[in-house]
Amino acid sequence: MEATALSFFIAAVTAAGFGMAIAAFGCGIAQGIGLRAAVEGIARNPEASGKITTTMLIGLAMIESLAIYALVVALILIFAHPQAGAIAALLG
Amino acid sequence: MNESLEERLIKNVVWANWAIFALASCIGLYMAPGPFAMGIICGGLITVVNFHLLSRTLQNALDPGPGTNHRVVVAKYYLRFFVSGLLIFGLLLFRIVHPIGLFVGLSVVVAGIFIALILELKYVFSKEAR
Repeated sequence: MEATALSFFIAAVTAAGFGMAIAAFGCGIAQGIGLRAAVEGIARNPEASGKITTTMLIGLAMIESLAIYALVVALILIFAHPQAGAIAALLG
Repeated sequence: MNESLEERLIKNVVWANWAIFALASCIGLYMAPGPFAMGIICGGLITVVNFHLLSRTLQNALDPGPGTNHRVVVAKYYLRFFVSGLLIFGLLLFRIVHPIGLFVGLSVVVAGIFIALILELKYVFSKEAR
């Protein structure tokens, strides 16, 4: 039973690690694409800098919130799993 | 008077962020248990302050004024990320907040952006109807 409980917590930590890595990968690529397009736009038309920055701010905030969600889920899986106590008790 | 679409959108997002944060905090304090309300308040504050700092960082990075140092801008960007991560880590580790409450609080900016977009669409359609 203890081995089963241990394997459950190992699986939770592994899931957290992989989840965070995948989220960081996706958000990094998305932010990179957005930033590249913005910098290209500003290079072509420097006068539109303010407008591009404002629009990009909203996009980056949305992407960044996804990364923060992934971080929260990963931290919950590792440190604050809501059912951790119940599962540990159930598995002995 | 004649604001551009971008100026109006960002004004609406900032306004909607604070409005949703206030509303969610009040509802949490009134109806939810302590840690859940604390999660909404802490998560909301983290994400709204993050949004303001991101806005300043982007303005400094893409429209640098005289004397703006790019190294300082990048350092501030990573510092903001590190402090946010540390705060969320501490809040969850010491069980100060309920995880779902924190999740709701962190969604304040996303909800604010959606509400600002709905307001903008409403404005555009009402303008077209006239």
